[in-house]
Amino acid sequence: MTSNINNEKQAEITSAETDSSRRNFVFGSIAAAGVTIAPGVMLYQTANARSLSDFSLKEGASSKVRWGMLVDTTKQVDWNKCVEACNKEHGLNNETHSRDDQKTQYIRVVDVKNKGTGHSMSLPVMCQHCESAPCVDVCPTGASMKRDDGIVLVDRHRCIGCRYCMMACPYKARSFVHEVLSDQKENTPRGKGCVESCNMCVNRIDNGLEPACVEASNEAIIFGDLNDPESKIAKLLKEFGGKQIRADLKLNPGVYYKGI
Amino acid sequence: MRLHLNLLSLAIVSLVLLTSMSSVVASQDSLGPKITIQQTSGEKCILPPEEMRRQHPDLLKHDRIATLREGVRAKADGGKLDGSLKQCVNCHAIKDDSNKYVRIDNDQHFCVSCHKYAAVSIDCFQCHRDIPEGGGDFHTLSNHKGINYNAVVPGTYNLTVQDMANIVPEGYSDDK
Repeated sequence: MTSNINNEKQAEITSAETDSSRRNFVFGSIAAAGVTIAPGVMLYQTANARSLSDFSLKEGASSKVRWGMLVDTTKQVDWNKCVEACNKEHGLNNETHSRDDQKTQYIRVVDVKNKGTGHSMSLPVMCQHCESAPCVDVCPTGASMKRDDGIVLVDRHRCIGCRYCMMACPYKARSFVHEVLSDQKENTPRGKGCVESCNMCVNRIDNGLEPACVEASNEAIIFGDLNDPESKIAKLLKEFGGKQIRADLKLNPGVYYKGI
Repeated sequence: MRLHLNLLSLAIVSLVLLTSMSSVVASQDSLGPKITIQQTSGEKCILPPEEMRRQHPDLLKHDRIATLREGVRAKADGGKLDGSLKQCVNCHAIKDDSNKYVRIDNDQHFCVSCHKYAAVSIDCFQCHRDIPEGGGDFHTLSNHKGINYNAVVPGTYNLTVQDMANIVPEGYSDDK
């Protein structure tokens, strides 16, 4: 079984190398799958989605992947659990001199109420990892960047702290560090004078783990590859749909919400 | 006998004096004060020390671009060491007399000891962690890959080894 998967992968890789056009690549890989997979095994093979560990990135982020999240707001989940996991993972909330509204938040829990119906709910809002991210467009130094797999993050080596991206972001997802920090987490360097935001736990993804908030959410947040039609998140989105916040801005965020 | 001892001590004292004088002369002849580089774990780095001394800024700069912007988390040159500042810190952390890691404000810190001597002031550690995670003899409770956030109870995220020792009743053992 595993050799079949390897063969299929190999076939995909070779077809990608030999065929220059995307069209050829798609048809080439389908043909290869038909050859290598025995009848009867086909169903299982196609249902078997690419897993996170397939992308333990030894060769770097790939644009074949688009990481995304689906937040199910209909589930009764204490979103603060996710916030706490996030704070723990990235060592946040350790400012001592900043006001509360200055402190870094990667995830904000937003309470909304429909005055007409009286229906209220809360949802976690983090960086929405837009496909055409305004923060990346406006950054004067190239510090605000989008990785090939769709994760938007700040390269603090280049950030000069101008906060232009904070103004550009329609989701208010970014924070600025106002004071000297110490005792950072070794996987999340952060310091005074830089803008920062949710990076989808890029260090965990590269190690084959899911983001901290996803793990803490008790399956209320689904994480996966939006480009892979066999992934759980893509299937759920296809079946039940999902809304992007401020979809009218046509930024194509990677974070979808169910039940808003 | 006593005379003999006196002579011997005199000889030793004069010898010590002579050597100390000669060392003073020698240090005046050399180019300046010598630096003491802190010795750490003793395992092999990715390059010999002479090359690391000259090339580590370029290596770090290369790897920071590869890791952050391109997502490459490969080991340095296929070896067992990460090509990251985290790996540098984990190997080269210095402990003080009380068995605690010295921080970046201490002259004994591996990076500081040389950078101060060479009058280099760079700001890696304004953002990066300056000592390994987990204190002294213990590592943090983790699988060395990442923390597992499944089934965590809010408010208990900061469990340390010490906390666990306090929670587990005295004399408890898995063996019984």
